[in-house]
Amino acid sequence: MPRPEHTSQPRLAPGCRWGTQGEQQVVLFPEGMIRVQGTGQNILELCDGQRTLQEIVATLSERYGAADPVKITDDVCSFLEALQRKRIVDY
Amino acid sequence: MIPNLLALIAEITHRCPLHCVYCSNPVELVATKAELTTAEWVRVFQEASRLGVLHLHLTGGEPAARADLEELIAGARQAGLYTNLITSGLGIPETRLSKLVDAGLDHIQLSFQDSRAEPAQWIAGARGHAYKLILAEKIRQLPVAFTVNLVVHRQNLDHIEEMIEFVEQLQPERVEIAHAQYYGWALKNRDTLLPTPSQLEKCLRAVEAAQSRLAGKVRIDSVVPDYYARYPKACMGGWGRRLMLIDPAGQALPCHAAGIIPGMQFDNVREHPLEWIWQASAAFQRFRGEEWMPEPCKSCDRRTEDFGGCRCQALLLTGDANATDPVCSLSPDHHLIETARAIAESHAEQVPWSYRTSVG
Repeated sequence: MPRPEHTSQPRLAPGCRWGTQGEQQVVLFPEGMIRVQGTGQNILELCDGQRTLQEIVATLSERYGAADPVKITDDVCSFLEALQRKRIVDY
Repeated sequence: MIPNLLALIAEITHRCPLHCVYCSNPVELVATKAELTTAEWVRVFQEASRLGVLHLHLTGGEPAARADLEELIAGARQAGLYTNLITSGLGIPETRLSKLVDAGLDHIQLSFQDSRAEPAQWIAGARGHAYKLILAEKIRQLPVAFTVNLVVHRQNLDHIEEMIEFVEQLQPERVEIAHAQYYGWALKNRDTLLPTPSQLEKCLRAVEAAQSRLAGKVRIDSVVPDYYARYPKACMGGWGRRLMLIDPAGQALPCHAAGIIPGMQFDNVREHPLEWIWQASAAFQRFRGEEWMPEPCKSCDRRTEDFGGCRCQALLLTGDANATDPVCSLSPDHHLIETARAIAESHAEQVPWSYRTSVG
């Protein structure tokens, strides 16, 4: 599976959804759950199947001020790719 | 400190249209009239959620044999649980499938006995293969996670590559290649089911090749079967450490087979809160932690990884539930496993099956 493209619309894979464990936000999937917080949570919350990768990066760049968009794109792609391999994210 | 209960396995019925020769249900099946009611199950799901449980696995028998499966799923989802249905697909017509998903089902795990209809029927003692194919296509069109479960053993491992290609075409996100586990029904049929070493090697290579070919497309999970592992599995993630199984009549068990251990007393969710059963009941404390361990487990570095292996397997093979799991190469009883493997290797002939019986 290739890395996401600028026009990809990342989303949680079928049967993967947000849940809570106590106060903590988690993503539930068939074999378990992952705790997401900080940047990971910010990225995943934008993955609604509507926004494109480009739009997600733009939103994050704005939020983090001076950060380099190329670096942000690279980080977001690596994050999404890792979750895609676990079949938690589709794009 | 008492560990947190993470997942609940609800064996909602032992009724099943199949008679698989490796069924994981106990040999003594629970009768229909003893089953918990809808309201009782939903109360258990709510209690589980309050205890911090995240995942619910609805299994059987065939869970679809219960007419209230939709209500059970809706109740579980309302309680906040991530709900997984482990099914043969039989008893789920297309119209019912949509209702299950609408009720909040998150994940379907559909079992196949083979890639070919005829051997599948031979293993299951019933027809069903053709319908499973139809259902798999419908599942794929719905917003639900889809896993295909394939049980493998000596009678089908010779065409493992074909089986992997077969399940790939069903387009699940996940494939679980599960080696038959030798308890209850499967133990009766062990001499016909246990793979040979060369089959196992072929299987490992086929799985590895498929994992790299399908990376990012289909996740393939497979573990080395007990009898060929060097060390035992951490059965149920350790006794009373993560999982609880409720049988159709409401008995809470630390694992599928725990009912066979003599002298154990299991408490029922009809009489006790789930929290008490998990934290304080005798059954869940029996093999929790390390106090019960004999040598070589007691002083072994691996005791925090495999927790001494499986208590039921220890009982079934050595007659003593307190023994080290004989699967372990360090066990003084390991010769029992070596003998079983030698029999598997030499058994070219078929012996008659014991098919799983029906529920009264």
